[in-house]
Amino acid sequence: MTRIRFSFARRDALKHISHLDMMRLFQRALRRSELPLAYSEGYNPHLRFNLAAPLPVNVTASEELGEVFFSGTVTPHRFISALSEQLPEGLILTGACSEDYNAPSLPSFVNAALYRAALVAEEGCRVDLSQYRQALERLLAREEILAPRTKKKRKKTYVNVRPYIFEAYFKEPVKDTPLELHMLLQAGSKGGVSPFFVIEQLEKELFCECNYKAHWELHRERLYREHEQFLQPLSEGM
Amino acid sequence: MQTLDSKIKRLLAKVQKPARYVGNEWNARKKDHATAAVKMALAFPDLYEVGMSNQGLKILYDSVNNIPDMLMERVFAPGDDMEELLRAHDMPLFTLESWKPLAAFDLVGFSLQYELSYTNVLNMLDLAKIPLFTEQRDEEDPLVVGGGPCAFNPEPLAPFFDFFILGESEECLPEILAIIKDLKQEAYDRRDLLVRLSEQEGVYVPSQYQPVYRGEKLENLEKKDPRVPAVIKKRLVEDLDSAPYPAAPVIPYIQAIHDRAVVELFRGCSRGCRFCQAGYIFRPVRRRSREKILEIACEQIAKTGYEDLSLASLSSTDYPHLDELIEELDRALSGEQVKCNLPSLRLDSYSIKLADRLHRGKRSNLTFAPEAATERLRRVIKKNISEEEIFSALVDAVEAGWQGFKLYFMIGLPTETEADVEAIVDLCSRIRQYFRRKVGRKISLSVSVSTFVPKAHTPFQWEPQLPLSEVAYRQEIIQQGFKKMPGVDLSWHDAETSFLEAVFARGDRRLAPALERAFSLGCRFDGWTEYFSMPLWRQAFQEAGVKPEDFAQRRFAYNDLLPWDHLDCGIKREIFVREHQKAFSSDDYNQGETI
Repeated sequence: MTRIRFSFARRDALKHISHLDMMRLFQRALRRSELPLAYSEGYNPHLRFNLAAPLPVNVTASEELGEVFFSGTVTPHRFISALSEQLPEGLILTGACSEDYNAPSLPSFVNAALYRAALVAEEGCRVDLSQYRQALERLLAREEILAPRTKKKRKKTYVNVRPYIFEAYFKEPVKDTPLELHMLLQAGSKGGVSPFFVIEQLEKELFCECNYKAHWELHRERLYREHEQFLQPLSEGM
Repeated sequence: MQTLDSKIKRLLAKVQKPARYVGNEWNARKKDHATAAVKMALAFPDLYEVGMSNQGLKILYDSVNNIPDMLMERVFAPGDDMEELLRAHDMPLFTLESWKPLAAFDLVGFSLQYELSYTNVLNMLDLAKIPLFTEQRDEEDPLVVGGGPCAFNPEPLAPFFDFFILGESEECLPEILAIIKDLKQEAYDRRDLLVRLSEQEGVYVPSQYQPVYRGEKLENLEKKDPRVPAVIKKRLVEDLDSAPYPAAPVIPYIQAIHDRAVVELFRGCSRGCRFCQAGYIFRPVRRRSREKILEIACEQIAKTGYEDLSLASLSSTDYPHLDELIEELDRALSGEQVKCNLPSLRLDSYSIKLADRLHRGKRSNLTFAPEAATERLRRVIKKNISEEEIFSALVDAVEAGWQGFKLYFMIGLPTETEADVEAIVDLCSRIRQYFRRKVGRKISLSVSVSTFVPKAHTPFQWEPQLPLSEVAYRQEIIQQGFKKMPGVDLSWHDAETSFLEAVFARGDRRLAPALERAFSLGCRFDGWTEYFSMPLWRQAFQEAGVKPEDFAQRRFAYNDLLPWDHLDCGIKREIFVREHQKAFSSDDYNQGETI
């Protein structure tokens, strides 16, 4: 019995699919790989497989994590070579390691995610950085940023997501590169906030009418776990 | 200058389900446009999730792409958000594989599964910037071809299509494409090409035929060129074992309606239910051998990683020695954790036994289609099953652990009376009582009621559809009846969409202007309740000067020329006449009108 933890990157070609689509994609790829998969017991056996944290639609990523359980021995090397062959364009395995079979599940560790959002402007259109910086300052100065959460049975509630924004700043732009917003946001089972929601709120804080011909491109750099009150990359030690 | 690719990327960020348009799925084929001698776009006039559930599409995709110098790419009807963006940015509809506009292909082939997707066909042509009418197209435009069940009466679509292929195309489409490749060099012009193409069996070039009407009636269909055939014979696959079948079907990223491995056990159906078009146009029954089924099933599972395998056909439990096949599949796929399932279960003990054997996990509802609630009416439609058989099958199912049933019924069937409609309520009530009193079990029951649509190439092709007001009245009987039966989940098909389906199913070329009008007024996805608009359709019919009731509710006489009489589905007219007469002369049929 083996448990493998692996990391992967998601490129543009595959960024249009949802978390559930990713789950199905991986499970089918694993089933094609002919590795000795472990299934849950019961009437409807499920493949024992997890992704650390849902990756939103239209977001690329460099360092996502997942884990799989096997009924036999599988080395990280064999895992990577067998699964890589079954993955479509846009999905790349970047590493794998063996993991204690009885350790807690991967998603339970996730505490935060670092996003990079680039404001890509069309040719001949300039984006005013100072406007955005001021808007961000105003947004972060708020004590409360309410985000709607639709619970079951149409009951709409609001959650203050301001505490979930650990950090957000604009990177000093290098010549001709798009304006870039970095966001460290809480994620995982204790609650979180969508990077798209933060951007939406930021744009509401812009005083000028935002008529830029520009769009945001989002990328998730990495996931974090909490370790002795500090954030540590979830991939640490891999 | 922005390339189409980068423009498309922008749009993808703005639509609700971008994965509908990106392609790049596992097992998708990306072939080189530069080296392909014939390029065809296979267009499915519904959303990706619907189209990717269609087995015919996957079979054709494979059969053409397996030929080295031919290429086939997919395109689906865009969702309303994507359509809006394409129009706002003046961008053409593009295929999934190469993101090329449809105009870059030699042919655009529409899969015609359902009459209510016709406005989507016109919309897709328009979005592709291909002229809507065959007469407006020139040498530069792709050939627009249609196939599928609706090609058996394509007359309402005639002015929009360059040609149709009648029948099963997995074997003949590559042949026809090869001929087109040669003709493109030889033919004098587009018209000449089409006429010469019509010499191929199964090819119907509607522009070469001129209907002549006298009053309301179709009097004649005149050939415009002596070379075109008077009757077009359907194409069919002789031997399923040697016919192309996808071993590695494309796996959608987003969940399609049917997202599983599918092996077709046999084509055609020998049951002969008189309302069922598929039961006639796919005749004769041709079986795939057990060895071939096993081979395809194993290969599909290995190449897709699917966890479900469907043993498909029009009536799967009719496959001989099905239990042995399932046994062998079990052995061959052991350890793969694959669940087999049988669609279209019949209401008999054998089917329940098989379902019991296949089904693992929670047993919620089993689905059956008795279609009619009285034995008399079931005899009229040739769904020959007695009430005793129904009850004993249901008892078997409950004993095997199922919690309830979903039952499909139709209203508006020929000879139906109010008593037959009330019998639907009555039958369901008796089923519930039977289980509560005799078996001591409460079962869940859901009932779905649709409206009968008479179809071309069936024994009921001469029959009118019930007028809308009468359908509404009968639906009311059912709704009132089930009101007194709490706990039964009742759903019914919108009568107006069934009406529209009937208009086109037995329609002729005089409907084409109304169709074009409806498209211009914004009708799309007419089969989807949330998009369907009867007021817009009424306006379209009115502006085109057509009375839709004249089509849905017309009764043909045996000696009338039918709009689809020049299309030969392989079944002799006498058989339809005989079946039609039998329906009305069933022993205990002694009410209603006769012809």
